[in-house]
Amino acid sequence: MTRRERALGTARTGQVVTAISLLALAGVFVRALAFTPVDRLQGPAQKILYIHAPVAFTSLMAFAVCGVLSLIYLAMRDRRLDRAAAASAEVGVAFSVAMLITGPIWGKPVWGTWWTWDARLTSTLFIFLLFVGYLIMRDAVIDPDQRARFSAVIGIMGLVLVPFIHLTVYLFRTLHPNPTLLKPSAPSMPGVMLVTLLSSIGVFLLLYAGFVTQRYAVAALQELREEEMLRDS
Amino acid sequence: MPVADYARVVWAIIAKDAMVEWRTKTAFLSAMVFAILVLSILFFARDPTAVSSLDVAPGALWVTFTFAAMVGLNRAFLLERENGAMDGMLLTPIPRTAIFVGKMGGNLLFVALVEAISIPLFILFYNVSLAGRLPQLILVTAMATVAFVAVGTLLSAMVVRTRFAELMLPVLLLPFLIPPVVSAVQVTARILAGRPLSEMMPWLKLLAGFDIVFCVLTVLLFEATLDE
Amino acid sequence: MNEPLLAAQDVSRRFGYRQIFSNVTLTLEPGEVLALVGPNGAGKTTLLRVLAGLLKPTTGSVRRNGTIGLVAHHSMGYDALTARENLAFAARLWGVSETGRIDLLLDRLGLSKWGEMRTAAFSRGMIQRLAIARALVHDPGILLLDEPLNNLDEPGAEVVLQVIDELAERGRAIVVVTHQFERIAAIATSVGYLVGGSLEGPEPIDGRAAEVVSHKYRSLLAGG
Repeated sequence: MTRRERALGTARTGQVVTAISLLALAGVFVRALAFTPVDRLQGPAQKILYIHAPVAFTSLMAFAVCGVLSLIYLAMRDRRLDRAAAASAEVGVAFSVAMLITGPIWGKPVWGTWWTWDARLTSTLFIFLLFVGYLIMRDAVIDPDQRARFSAVIGIMGLVLVPFIHLTVYLFRTLHPNPTLLKPSAPSMPGVMLVTLLSSIGVFLLLYAGFVTQRYAVAALQELREEEMLRDS
Repeated sequence: MPVADYARVVWAIIAKDAMVEWRTKTAFLSAMVFAILVLSILFFARDPTAVSSLDVAPGALWVTFTFAAMVGLNRAFLLERENGAMDGMLLTPIPRTAIFVGKMGGNLLFVALVEAISIPLFILFYNVSLAGRLPQLILVTAMATVAFVAVGTLLSAMVVRTRFAELMLPVLLLPFLIPPVVSAVQVTARILAGRPLSEMMPWLKLLAGFDIVFCVLTVLLFEATLDE
Repeated sequence: MNEPLLAAQDVSRRFGYRQIFSNVTLTLEPGEVLALVGPNGAGKTTLLRVLAGLLKPTTGSVRRNGTIGLVAHHSMGYDALTARENLAFAARLWGVSETGRIDLLLDRLGLSKWGEMRTAAFSRGMIQRLAIARALVHDPGILLLDEPLNNLDEPGAEVVLQVIDELAERGRAIVVVTHQFERIAAIATSVGYLVGGSLEGPEPIDGRAAEVVSHKYRSLLAGG
């Protein structure tokens, strides 16, 4: 099997996983809207939790995966790890955008304002910017090995930075008591809601896997093409 | 390599950078002009009837330091790249980490000098009365400066070999500056307000943790930024 | 027999997706002056950097039994420093005592008069002489030179050739990368041709070198 065929096979797997997870996502939406009770305090606006929380969780996990793969890349120097790290970062950035858009949509009816420097929203914004920088830098390095090494360095540093950002935002919040807000996630959630939330998280993880697999395959095909062009010239 | 030799090499690199900067002065003067401009612009960037200058002072100080430091950091490895001087260092038997520590030392010296001149100006411009709390301000300045010079030096080693190097450094560096700079602003605000040390402790602990973790991490990662 | 000063075994190097050269095997004995010839873009500079240890070989291995002195395309110096300060910095990094040695090198390369001048004001020829002095500051066992006669006038080139010859006599091993073999024919003891990504030779050369080498080089170029 040639590398091209293998990459195309990976892409197809990614497509299938994505298709399945999109179907499942539709199922989760139906369940969230029709079969899960409306929140007593927040009303129908609370339904956005079933998108907001899963994409937030998935994006954070995507960045963590990028950091861990970066670390393994530096140890093993296998180009595939770099490709997977980059794919994970890119999907993480996309999920962060979803998180940063759904947050204010939820916030407006609940908090009465589009944007609030809520701890989690703020952390995500900063981490999102960090990984946008990561992606910009990848474009600014031409040599693929150098790009992989530089990206790995940023990925590892990002992994270490995330807890510091959380801590900073947390300290900032706790040392500056704000007027009482409705917390975005109720501490104890009725079982039906919890099942909906957990199944949504599962579906978004699957969607993540589908996206990353496809992105990985595209990167492999791009590399192959660059290689062929160099050989022909 | 014995510690004494290691220290000698690190010092040689710091002294060389200091000499080059002393001869050219471009980066230092730019950073200084930049610092004075930012300090004064931020003084006017408020409604004087509603916000006192003391309220914006801590933020103004740290925005100034951050951006002035960036001028020096951007140059740090440009100097080694210009005539391939980095090759000259890599050929020698000195440990790679000594090169990083030396470059970081040079940057620390640069930023410390900018800060040493900026702080009196800051006190003057913002009419700050420190009343014996200057050592506290120096302590937090030192702690935060180590943090962003460590990260900045490592990123500078990489960005000089990317396209649009001058643009890349702030984009990559600023997210890493959030913890140290926010901490430094918080501590500075409490120092200026004459609050007790206990109120600053959580932030100082965060800063100290950041310093330790990122100094170790950047030294370890430096080798991965070199050509191979 | 003595260990060779430098031994490269089946060395190849890739940049990204591009194979620069492969299966380069060569050894350098004390006193050997190897001329490495090849057209522009053949990978001579890359090979030199791999031999110097600045680049890792993609496959194969390089063994060095001595310190490296390298003269590259760029000066490796700092424009804001004087010639003497540049040499002193290099000496400090190598951990060698600077006194005497620097004066000697400045004198040998005809830079005595310019020792206290900042190199920003140097001509290209002076920069090249300084680069050679810098490479010699720690009296390396292996000297690698990339187009060492570039930017040098006739007297300058003469001095550099003499310096190389002396080093060879003192048992150092030298590699000179050039695309003009004729200019170093007088001092080369062996020649290798880097053409089409592989190394032909190295082979010893005898008295009537220049014509033989250029003839062989031309036929390799035509064949490759």
